[in-house]
Amino acid sequence: MPDQGDATGGTNGTGGARSAPPAVRVEGLWKRFGDQVAVAGIDLELPAGRFIGLVGPNGAGKTTTLSMVTGLLRPDMGRVHVAGHDVWADPTEVKARIGVLPEGLRLFERLSGRELLGYMGRMRGLPGEETDKRATQLLDVLDLAGSQHKLVVDYSTGMRKKIGLAAALLHNPEVLFLDEPFEGVDPVSAQTIRGVLERYTASGATVIFSSHVMELVESLCDWVAVMAAGRIRAAGPLAEVRGSAPSLQAAFLELVGAHGRHAAGDSLEWLGGGSGAGSR
Amino acid sequence: MTPPAGPAADPAAMVTTPATASAARTGSRGSAGASSRAAVPLTPIFVRLKLSLLRNGLKGSSKRKAAYFSSLAFALVVGFFVTLGLALLHGNVHAGTVVVLLAALLALGWAFMPLFFPTGDETLDPSRLVMLPLRPRPLVRALLVSSLVGIGPLFTLCLAVGSVLAVARGAAGAVAAVVAAPLLVLGCVTLARAVATANVRLLSSRKGRDLAILSGLLIAVGGQLVNFGSQRLFQAGGLATLEPVEAVVRWLPPATAIGMVDSASEGAYGVAAAQLALTVAAVVALLWFWERSLTRLMVTPDGSTIAAARPTKDRGAGGVWSLLPAGRTGAAVQRTLRYAVRDPKTKAAWVTALAIGMIIPVFNALQGTGSVYLACFGASMLGMQMYNQFGQDTSAFWMVAQTISNTRDAYVELRARAFALALVTVPFTVLVTVVTAAVIGDWSSFPAATGLSLALLGSMLCTGALASARFPYSIPSDGAFKNVVPGQAGLAWAGIFGGLLVSAVISAPVIVLTIWLNAAEHHDISWIVLPVGVAWGALATWAGLRLSAPTVARKLPEILSAVSKG
Repeated sequence: MPDQGDATGGTNGTGGARSAPPAVRVEGLWKRFGDQVAVAGIDLELPAGRFIGLVGPNGAGKTTTLSMVTGLLRPDMGRVHVAGHDVWADPTEVKARIGVLPEGLRLFERLSGRELLGYMGRMRGLPGEETDKRATQLLDVLDLAGSQHKLVVDYSTGMRKKIGLAAALLHNPEVLFLDEPFEGVDPVSAQTIRGVLERYTASGATVIFSSHVMELVESLCDWVAVMAAGRIRAAGPLAEVRGSAPSLQAAFLELVGAHGRHAAGDSLEWLGGGSGAGSR
Repeated sequence: MTPPAGPAADPAAMVTTPATASAARTGSRGSAGASSRAAVPLTPIFVRLKLSLLRNGLKGSSKRKAAYFSSLAFALVVGFFVTLGLALLHGNVHAGTVVVLLAALLALGWAFMPLFFPTGDETLDPSRLVMLPLRPRPLVRALLVSSLVGIGPLFTLCLAVGSVLAVARGAAGAVAAVVAAPLLVLGCVTLARAVATANVRLLSSRKGRDLAILSGLLIAVGGQLVNFGSQRLFQAGGLATLEPVEAVVRWLPPATAIGMVDSASEGAYGVAAAQLALTVAAVVALLWFWERSLTRLMVTPDGSTIAAARPTKDRGAGGVWSLLPAGRTGAAVQRTLRYAVRDPKTKAAWVTALAIGMIIPVFNALQGTGSVYLACFGASMLGMQMYNQFGQDTSAFWMVAQTISNTRDAYVELRARAFALALVTVPFTVLVTVVTAAVIGDWSSFPAATGLSLALLGSMLCTGALASARFPYSIPSDGAFKNVVPGQAGLAWAGIFGGLLVSAVISAPVIVLTIWLNAAEHHDISWIVLPVGVAWGALATWAGLRLSAPTVARKLPEILSAVSKG
């Protein structure tokens, strides 16, 4: 395996070449929408060269955090460094080094998949020929070659995520931010995305993705950060965060304080369609 | 398979739908359910459902309530006066012509309205009913009755009553009128339902939604055409010119219903009977067609998305596109132009601007009231497309924002967008001026008018870039007439009107020069306005782009959040 980063007590850290700055360093990050505090003072350091999962329940502030880290949303307070550069003071250095796939924002959907990649590559300053070569390979690997001339507006959710991922990878970024990349994606597309991401991190690049599917995070990531109510509840190598809990799911429920909430006792005692009592 | 004892055990209506299949299963399982269903007729349920949906839709929102009741009051008042007006036509020589054509227009409106203005009437959406054990015939009956409830049918009834009052004379006429008014309403509503059901797959697909968004275009351009058409009509000798059309239309259902009243009043009972038969036959045929498409719709899988999304041929990078500069400029120009063709909202805005920019000067010229300088109108209509550039991107602006990291990037992005606009608008402005000048025959003003138009276009591009940077707002992607999301309307109007005023001020030197040359009778040197205007326009555009670029680069997250509300 190539360089896997040197982060604080990595489970499989082999002490690689990327001893340089962490992929992301966040200090005192705040964001408030009206009365609601979405992100309440986050300090976080994400090691480079890892597959990092940002997990948390809906409304935990994952999307807001990722938006502020990638320069799409201005924080109320705090500093963000990506690959050693300040996101807000030095956008030129940062934007060339990151790839983003946000959740809830549209793509240029009236372009075909291939046109979208061609557009993004040229906007990123890649030469036209190189863009087209990379686009062809990405479309191929992501199983989109057959639909490359369809408009993105007619794509399924899985296809959209894949073309978004292709657009985010096109300029070969150092750090890739993916907001819920597997949400609403069919198992086949999910596997394809997984394959591409694993290959990408194997080269020493960093993937940071948010999700609320614990099994997925557990099987993919070697480093996790748990968020709830706008704060980081735990962060570190997977094994460390999981601790003695049987699974990440159990550890997560413990961390966000949702353990022991059982299904309402006998209020659904009639519910037993399989027992045959109700029919005939 | 054994169908359950349905509400109308009509063997002809027995259809092996998945719905009836599931009904059969439920029927064999819980017979109590089936028998209780048999006792309840479907039609009142649908009418009640429609009324409940209406009531619930109004609940809680005083704005919606006000909108609904004011449109109801408006329809009633207008309906009353139109009925009165039509009734007063009684005895007029042209009464027959007017009401027959009106009925035909009404039917046409009903046929096309569902395609361009989906009402969102959930009771009429067959896809919501597909899982229920319903048979086609009672279903069609119930849907027909429930679609007769509403403001539209009420208004149509007013028009129908007014129309028959206008032409009915004598006892036979009165009898015919009593039959004709409901028949006309029934014909219109059935036509609308049949057309909508036949096209429901189209309407629920992406292409259908795109079509609906283009309705704004239809209204804007159609309104202009009707305006000029009616002016022409009244100049050309009035309603008498329409009589040959009317002679044909009175044999086209459902206008035949009105024709029947006219014929019966004149004692031509044979003709009246034929027209009545034709009307009834048409309604029956429409009902049959509706039932058939409804049945087919509910028993066949929806393949529309596959058909709509069939990959088009490679619109590759070659051809004309290769003439564009490489890098961001070429990419942004290409995307802007593709969006003008493919995105329904953008397309509607562009085509409206192009069409109205052509219609106003040219039609005025045709009527002899025009001036070559009216071509400026087209230039400012087109210049408006520069406003709210980033709002036109919707939340996809994040893709642009990700690639802009300094003022230079922002400047190149804005310049590319202005260039894309200019690629279309500059030749078009010259074309409009040429056509207007040719129609009027005033070639001496042509260079000055072109120069003035281009100066105006340049200042619109300038203020458009500034407004795009400072007053971005979201454009909702649905709804033909919603071009601003609630809460941003003030911002949008302030940006546009402020921009128009400032544009006028910016191009003031060229305007003053033109006026002075004309007033002082210096027609021989009025060509000077052309180079001055071109230079002024180019300068204004450059200055506008330069001034707005730093704002764009600095406020990317703010712009993104302003344009992501749609």
